[in-house]
This record gives sequence, structure tokens and C-alpha cells, in this order.
Amino acid sequence: MSSNPLLSVEGLTVQFFTDRGTVTAVNEISFEIQEEEIVGLVGESGAGKSVASMSLLRLINGPGRIVEGEIRYKDRTLFALEEGPDGEPRKREDMLSDEEMRTEIRGNEIAVIFQDPMESLNPVYTVGNQLQEFIKLNRDISKKEARSEAIRMLREVGISDAAERYEKYPHEFSGGMRQRVLIAMALACKPNLIIADEPTTALDVTIEGQILDLVQDLQEKYGTSFLWVTHDMGVVADICEQVNVMYLGNIVEQAPVDDIFYNTKHLYTDALLDSMPRPDRTVERLKAIKGVMPSAIDPPEGCPFHTRCPDARQVCEQTHPDLRDVSDDANIIHRSACLKHDIFNVNYEGSLPMTDETKRQANTSAGTTSVNETGADR
Amino acid sequence: MSILRYAIDRILQTIPVLIGVSLITFLFINALPGDVISALYADQALGEESIRALEERHGLNESFFERYLSFMAGILQGDLGYSIHYETSVTSLVLTRAGPTLMLTLSAFAFAIVTAIPLGAIAASRRNQSPDHLSRIVALFGVSTPSFWVGIMLIVIFAVTLGWLPSGGLVYPWRAPGHYGFDSQLELYVQTVQSLLLPMIALGTMQMAMLMRIERSEMVETLQRDYIQLARAYGVSERTILRKHAFREAQLPIITIVGLNISTALGGSVVIEQVFDINGIGKLLLSAIELRDFQVVTGITLVLAAIFVIGVVITDIAYAYIDPRITLDGGE
Repeated sequence: MSSNPLLSVEGLTVQFFTDRGTVTAVNEISFEIQEEEIVGLVGESGAGKSVASMSLLRLINGPGRIVEGEIRYKDRTLFALEEGPDGEPRKREDMLSDEEMRTEIRGNEIAVIFQDPMESLNPVYTVGNQLQEFIKLNRDISKKEARSEAIRMLREVGISDAAERYEKYPHEFSGGMRQRVLIAMALACKPNLIIADEPTTALDVTIEGQILDLVQDLQEKYGTSFLWVTHDMGVVADICEQVNVMYLGNIVEQAPVDDIFYNTKHLYTDALLDSMPRPDRTVERLKAIKGVMPSAIDPPEGCPFHTRCPDARQVCEQTHPDLRDVSDDANIIHRSACLKHDIFNVNYEGSLPMTDETKRQANTSAGTTSVNETGADR
Repeated sequence: MSILRYAIDRILQTIPVLIGVSLITFLFINALPGDVISALYADQALGEESIRALEERHGLNESFFERYLSFMAGILQGDLGYSIHYETSVTSLVLTRAGPTLMLTLSAFAFAIVTAIPLGAIAASRRNQSPDHLSRIVALFGVSTPSFWVGIMLIVIFAVTLGWLPSGGLVYPWRAPGHYGFDSQLELYVQTVQSLLLPMIALGTMQMAMLMRIERSEMVETLQRDYIQLARAYGVSERTILRKHAFREAQLPIITIVGLNISTALGGSVVIEQVFDINGIGKLLLSAIELRDFQVVTGITLVLAAIFVIGVVITDIAYAYIDPRITLDGGE
């Protein structure tokens, strides 16, 4: 990775303070996005992908709050804390104010595309009205210029009769067309980074293919970076250059796309790949990942994946692995948070495998089971 | 389909409703004990002969259907019947009394809307903070207090104790200032507003409370939509989000409630007109019932029903105007 990333996230932690307890939705994640790069953020529902991506804009609602970490964009600090004189964390001086985030970052530097194009446009205003408003706001141009820019972008994303469609309401567009409108909206604001939060999940497969092609073309043309949030490894393979795999709020594997697919270093990524239909493999049945992701309100101790991991050993229950470079190639950084790798040096090989029985116990009393108890059971 | 065509269609559809209302009213009035002649001449001992003569003169000896049909025939010519007690046509009675009632009802709604919408929106944007709690208390008070009690309390406080405002009677802005002994047109208007203030608040409080709660919950729901989050992600200010992006969709249920509540408010004005001694349709209706002047009762009921039905039609049209997803062709 180059020394000057467009965006860098360091130790980002987001917690939700609910009545039932504190939920750590994002747990000390770090990643970078380079200029003109498409970076994938992959994981199952509830892994914390959307929360992580929205925290880049500091748009976390309700009881949620970024509690730790540093987010830098170009030479600006989107989020950073320091220890105040009273020992409590406080905002660091160089961190942008809410007003600066709103006027200088959101939209014009970092734009977003949401999952559901049906819900992302205001039903009571015309598509043009909304495009024009956002473009005018973020590019500081007149209404007239914003209008012609909007129409030009609509044409660019493949909407015919753009000038006419500009006057139409969202319900007069199909899902795929609406997502094109939202892509036009994002690009027209001329951001350097677009957060695409599962933008093709709500679309059917043929439309998804078209949208992915469109995004790739436009990305090359405009040189925009993307953070592509998805649960679909197929989409990742299609467009991403760098991939972050998330599980239960943690990034568990981080590598260039080819290494993720052909040199997988985390068993969760493995399981994700196995659960995906692939044209290069013939299988009787797709392998689903066993069990469900544990609740983030009461996450398992040790490795978060050990309750579902086929190769979990007792050491996995005791040690929470951080993300370490496990690459055997000096030119490639391939990080994984799996204790299997020698670099962790926790005597994985010498540890006893966890049986389904012990895993179930860990599942039901996650966080409270001590090593001795499981040992005695055996 | 044009709005005009749609409006005409909807108004034509209301005709069966109005016929039903007239028939039911006619039936119930006839079922009431007592009759207009004996109510009118209660203090005079009339002979059989003169009673029969009076009945014949007013067509009271005809059968129910004959009377109903001649009433309906009158309706088609804009004639609501003849009041035996007031000895004038019901149409002119209603017309002269409609002004105060409409003034009262419309101002009560204006008061309710103007206060409820901003308060509800503020409560929604400051959810579970003190403005929200305050609005909840006001709303609870508003919906659980009968309007006549609010009216009486307003009179006690502002008219009797403080002496700031008149305790009853309306000053009509359409009369000449000299009629009330005022010097200028301006003084007339000032007096009109002063006389209208208390009955307007008394009648509007419940509507205000209800609308405020609906506005709040609609705004809360709308503010959670994806397109609101998208607007935030594009750097739109919270103020613009509240005023432009969330506001419009949140108003749809308000329009429905206002449209449907016109009848409630007209019903409420019957009571408020008594409390504040306002000579409107409501007061006329109550005395007509006491006097068994059933032509007047039927006529007023029909007029109120027509106003209600027209309110519903206007609601539908306003809906289609605000929400582009609703077409006027009958489908979505």
C-alpha cells in the first residue's frame, strides 16, 4: 500500500448504547482506500459493514457513537480523539466540526449510494428536483447549471430522454433506473470517494450486471474511489481490487482480491467462498456456513468466529486474534486474524480441537465459559 | 383525468349519500314524540278545527312519503323547506346563520393547523427531549378535555377574571361598523378578532392536540427513511431536511384528518355556539329540535352532510396534488 492513501481508518470502534447493553458494532477496524481504487467491505448481514461505512461520514444514528479510532481523508481529520485533562476522551483539535463535515465532506468529497433504490429517492419530489438540489449544494453552482449537469449525468448513466425523465417522479422509474439515477447523483457531485452500500442487492441479477459494468466504466473515466459494501463474493470478484472481510464487527481478512480468492487465509472467508455458487466448481450442494452469527450484544470470547469455525481449537476460545500480515510474499500485504497462522505463536497445533459439544456450550454461555470448565467437562 | 373532471365525478358520487342522509333524518324526526303545532301553540288552547287547518296549511296531514317527496322536489330547486316556527324559508335561515358557524369552524381549524404542525414537527425533531414531553402533555390535555369545558374555563379566566376579551357573541366583519357603534372599519375587525378568539380556541383545542400527535408521529417515521439519510449524506442541513425533505410526505395524513374532522368540528360548534352565545347553524339546530321544527332540522342536517362530503372530496384532490404517486384515475 502506498504511503498516501485517500482515506485511512485506524482502530475504528463504534458502539450502540442500548437498554439491553452496549453493542460493539464495529471493533477496532483499520483499512485504507487508495486513489482510484475500489475497496470491498464484505460480510454477512449484521457484520457491521453499513455502520462502519456510515461512520466515515460521521452519520451514526440514535444510540450509536464512534468511541475510538482515527479517520483521515486526504489531509483532513474526519474523526480523532485525544485524552482530555480530566482523563476522559475528547475531540482532537484537528477533527472537523459537524458543520465542516456537512459542508466540506458529505456529498462533495464523499458521496453515498444506498442499498434500496426504491427508498432512496423522495417520492414527493421529481428526480430532477432532488438531483439539482444535491448538485447545486455540493458544487456551488447555479440552479440552471445544476440542472444541465444533472441531465448530462443522467445521459452518462444510460438514461435515455434524460431531459424528459428529469421531470418525472421516482415512482415512474424502475429499480434499476433509480439506481442509475442515484449513481448519477453521486458522480455529479464530483466526489473523490463513493460509499456504495450494497447498491445492487435489491436488483435482479441481469440489472446488477449492467450496473456493475456501468460503475466500472464510470470509475475509470472519473477516477473515483469506491468503498463497496456487499455480502456477495461474486460482486467482489467482479469489481474490487482490495478486499476487507468483516465478521461480527471485526475485519478478519484483508488482502488484494486475487489473494482473497486464491490464497484464502481465514476460515470465515473460506466458508463464505464455499457458500457461493461458482462457475469454476461443480458441487452437489452449496455449503452454507453452519449456525448463525452470534449476537453482537454478547459476542463470544476469543476469536469471534470460533463458535462456527470447522477448525476451532481450544486456544481460539481464549485468544482474540488481531489482524496480522501472514503473507509469504514480501510484495503483498495479506492480513488475517486467524490463530492458525504461525505468526500468532499461540501453539494452535498443540491445542485440542473443539468438539461440537464444547462449541455449543461456548455458544450458549458465550463470554462466561472459562477454559477450566470446558476442560473438566471433557 | 383532469382535476375538474375528477372533482365533478366525486361530487356526483356523493348524491346517493346525501339522499340516504335525508331519508334517515326524515325518518328519525318523524319518530320523535311531539309536533311543531303543539310546540308552537303550547300556551294556547287550540281547537281540533284550527289544528287541522294549520296541519293542512303546512302539509302535515300528508303521508310520510308524500312529505318526503315534496321535500326532495324542493331540494332540487335549492329549497330546503319552510320553517313553521320562524315563518320563513329554511334556505334563507341557514344562509343567514351559516356565516358565524363557518367563521368559527374555519378559524378553529386554522388555529389548530397553524399551531399543531410546527409544534408536532419540533417535537419529532427533538424526540424524547423536553419539547417532545411538553407537546405530549398539551396533547393529552387537549384530547381529554371536552370543548365546552375549555370554553367555560376560557370565559372564566379571560372574560370574567381578567376582563381582556368578551365572554360571548360574535362581531361580524361583514356588517357596517356603525351597526355596533364603531367608528372605523379597523375597529370592527379588531373587535371581530377579539370576539372570535375564545370560541376559536375552545373549538380548536381538541383538533390541535390530535393533529399535533399525528404530525409528530408522521414526522418521526418520515425522518427515518432512507432518502432522509441520503440527504444528510449529501450535506443537506437538518433545517432543510425538516422543512423540505421530511415535511411534505408527513403532511398526507394531516390532510385526511382535517378533511374527516370537519364534521366533528361542525358538531362541536353546536355546543360552542351555545357556550359563547353565537347565532350560528348549531344554535339554530338545537332550538329547531326543541321546537320540533323538523323542516329546519332536516335542512340543516342535509347542509352539514353536504359540507362533510365536499370536505372529503377536497381531501382526495389535495392528496393527489401533494403525492404524485396517487393518480386521479382510481388506481395507484
